[in-house]
Amino acid sequence: MKSLLAGVLPWLLAAAPAFASDGDRWEIPVAVKKLDNGLTVVVSEDRSSPVVGVSVVYGIGMRLEPRNRTGFAHLFEHLMFEGSENAPEGTFDRVITGGGGRNNGSTRPDFTNYIEVAPSSALEPILWLEADRMRMLDFNPATLKNQQDVVKEEIRVNVQNQPYGGFMWLDIGFQAFEKWENNHDGYGSFEDLEAATLDDVRAFHRDYYGPNNAVLGLAGDISPEEGFALAEKYFGGIPARPVPPAPDFSEGLNTQEKRLVQADKLAQVPAVAIAWKMPGRGSPDQPAMSVLGALLANGDASRLYQGLVKGRELALTVDGLYGLTSEWEYNGPTLFTVFALYKPDSDGHAIVRAVDEEIARIVAEGVDDATLARTKTALLADWYNGMEPFISRADTLAKLQLLWGDAGVANRIPGWIEAVTSEDVQRAARTYLVASNRTVIDRVPEAQLAARRVDAPQAE
Amino acid sequence: MKTTMTLVLLAACAVAAPAIASGPAELPRDLPPYAADKPLPVPQIERRTLDNGLEVWVVPRDGVPRVDYVLAVRNAGHGADPADAPGFAGLLAGMLTEGTARRDSREIAEAAQSYGGSVGASASNDGVLVYADALAVHAGPMLGLLAEIVRGPVFPDDEVVLAKANALQSLKAMQAQPSFRASRELLAATYGDHPYARTQFTEESIAAVTPEGLRKAHALRFRPDRALLVVTGRVEPEEAFRLARSAFGEWKAQGPTLAPAPAAPREATPARVLVQRGGSVQATLRLGRPAIAATDEDYVPAILTGTILGGGFSSRVNQNLREDKGYTYGASAGFSTSRMGGRVQAGADVRNEVTGAALEEFFSEFRRLAEEPVPEQELLDNKRYVAGGYLISNQLQRSVASTLASNWLVGLPADFLSGYVPRIQQVDAEQIRDIARKYFDPKDLSIIVVGDAAAIEDQLGAYGEFRKVE
Repeated sequence: MKSLLAGVLPWLLAAAPAFASDGDRWEIPVAVKKLDNGLTVVVSEDRSSPVVGVSVVYGIGMRLEPRNRTGFAHLFEHLMFEGSENAPEGTFDRVITGGGGRNNGSTRPDFTNYIEVAPSSALEPILWLEADRMRMLDFNPATLKNQQDVVKEEIRVNVQNQPYGGFMWLDIGFQAFEKWENNHDGYGSFEDLEAATLDDVRAFHRDYYGPNNAVLGLAGDISPEEGFALAEKYFGGIPARPVPPAPDFSEGLNTQEKRLVQADKLAQVPAVAIAWKMPGRGSPDQPAMSVLGALLANGDASRLYQGLVKGRELALTVDGLYGLTSEWEYNGPTLFTVFALYKPDSDGHAIVRAVDEEIARIVAEGVDDATLARTKTALLADWYNGMEPFISRADTLAKLQLLWGDAGVANRIPGWIEAVTSEDVQRAARTYLVASNRTVIDRVPEAQLAARRVDAPQAE
Repeated sequence: MKTTMTLVLLAACAVAAPAIASGPAELPRDLPPYAADKPLPVPQIERRTLDNGLEVWVVPRDGVPRVDYVLAVRNAGHGADPADAPGFAGLLAGMLTEGTARRDSREIAEAAQSYGGSVGASASNDGVLVYADALAVHAGPMLGLLAEIVRGPVFPDDEVVLAKANALQSLKAMQAQPSFRASRELLAATYGDHPYARTQFTEESIAAVTPEGLRKAHALRFRPDRALLVVTGRVEPEEAFRLARSAFGEWKAQGPTLAPAPAAPREATPARVLVQRGGSVQATLRLGRPAIAATDEDYVPAILTGTILGGGFSSRVNQNLREDKGYTYGASAGFSTSRMGGRVQAGADVRNEVTGAALEEFFSEFRRLAEEPVPEQELLDNKRYVAGGYLISNQLQRSVASTLASNWLVGLPADFLSGYVPRIQQVDAEQIRDIARKYFDPKDLSIIVVGDAAAIEDQLGAYGEFRKVE
């Protein structure tokens, strides 16, 4: 309702390529406090609903798992739900769901997050449970075995038994990166998963799950004062624990293109993933890459949808991905990946050529004002939409605090997007979306690949 | 792809309690209790009906700077698809954004993007839902765009040709997924000849689509006198009604209309189907039977029964098959309801070696629920879980809009949304047991398995003769 007056502004300003009137802007309240034990707490108050979102984000992900234990960070995430000495297996989920809440967890290269959303009446028990599993787990051989089995089923259902096997986010990274931290399989080999021991579990919890390696995010029916006091009450007594120094896993851009063809036993329709290494987190090029990625692959108005699905009629779908996260949530080497299902009478080379033509057009001509403005408008709207659910708001703020050292970035991203110019987009395209920095996997149904090899033995 | 590495799928609706043991373990001594519940917020719905019959409901909100629209058109979905045109309503809905007299598909996409939102449509059993959202400052133009695609899609020849070609390839891609194959067989086993069985395309039904057929279907199915527009977000009701009149006031119902779909069956002969998928490392299990419409008197206790049995992470089948046995990444069970009928479905994807054992665990959970009353604490936890789901959804304005529109499509009144939580709280253990007996009796359930026959067939013998499908 605050927008009614502001609604006239876009017409008054129609001459400028501006997109963000005051009515479009949405400032998210952000309050941050660090406890003495190093736990950082972020609170965003919103009393519109008697619900609260909670996120505990730890600064440990797949990059830093032990070398002979691929998939361990993710297996460990599962074990975080399997009970502690104080709260036996089953308690965690029962208390949250019995309080009306939902919970989830996920493992990514740079963090592992544990999220809940619940009626605010369940907040204190939830914080108690989160603090309890930060302090100590029930290191139990039965639950370890059970979750080793569950994780193997997860890998079967998401990778081994699925057409494409997640190659656009798994295999593409195995190929694109140089260092083990960045290019190993974060889902893990069955051999490594089965080899995990309770000593591994204890050590990982001790080293990476202390309060000083975590951020607590709270959003919704709670004030900063209440949030900070509850954090102190439940987490304040957990001592800080030393975190092992991380190796240098940074990588520059690639200097030589990598291309390969994979046969897919289950797929019926071919697909291709084209990935380029991104600028580092905090680089001045990051907002430009965000706008460039959206210009190319965000929705039906994007250049690649209009150019490849429509236009050249080569592809069925075109999607843009940013590694396993988003263009703002990483702290090490990551990728911008274009993933397309394409028609059987085409091939990966034709898709790459078409994508190259669209990129070349941007490099040569830049982006006209109207297109740039609506691309940025859509990005801004997407950013706000992601902040609407309290669970996502708590989680995004906690992740930004962990990765950027400042949850307030949430309110600066809209301005960064707005400031991107056509020249910035051109520079990002010239710098990052080049062949030498590119990795391509053409994933072809087995039978079609066999036919293609007969037709064209020179295929790469 | 966003669900990679996630532990618990939030999507489903449901539950609580370590259902494996006879009763819940003691809670930790220091665990603080839940605080007192706050009153349930009730969405304030302002309602008007335009002269042409279009209903308009407005729910003002003051959160994210966005306005959401959902236009529901009753009897325009799969229930209206002829027997030789399975999946047709999905293509009809998808084609709405592919061109009008004023704008081609690209101009529609670019306009939506410039409003900071999107516009699109999808088909369900009972209707078509057309969605649009925009930054609040663009509320008026976005509603104009929504009305334009609803009232005047032209189904351009070249777009229809392209959409058919892409639908055919998409069908191939989906058929590679075991869940899609299982779903087709389960729907057929559940609904037989009823149109609710025909929600998936076939190669033949795609080939038969023509621009003329789409235009005729649009004229028959899209009418203001059986449509509802729901508006939520940063907009005053009077302003929303004014925008709705301006966008839809001139829309007129014309020509003959369609009869509603017949009632769906309440019973079916249980089927046994094994869909052969060579090299599959898992068996995809799906169990089901016909059940009830959303307006059935059993619906409210059925929601709670589904929640307890298989609605979420703490539900009985997930606790058993995943947390106790480690057979699967996730197991679920519950009701799916439409206007003219409904069904139950249960399922999990399990490793080949435990195919038979997993089926047995499903059946044993169904029998347990039919025989033993649900313990008081488990019942209470599940009621709170349902209430929490209401609160969580109610925080999201788009969710409020689409739930109101979906409820209306299946014949539920506007106040069902805010009224079902108090009704859930009245359900007792005896009603749960009755629902389990009526709808989860193992002898009435069809079993569909998608997997590698050579690896799993010998485990299926105890469940009857399976018809093999390639």
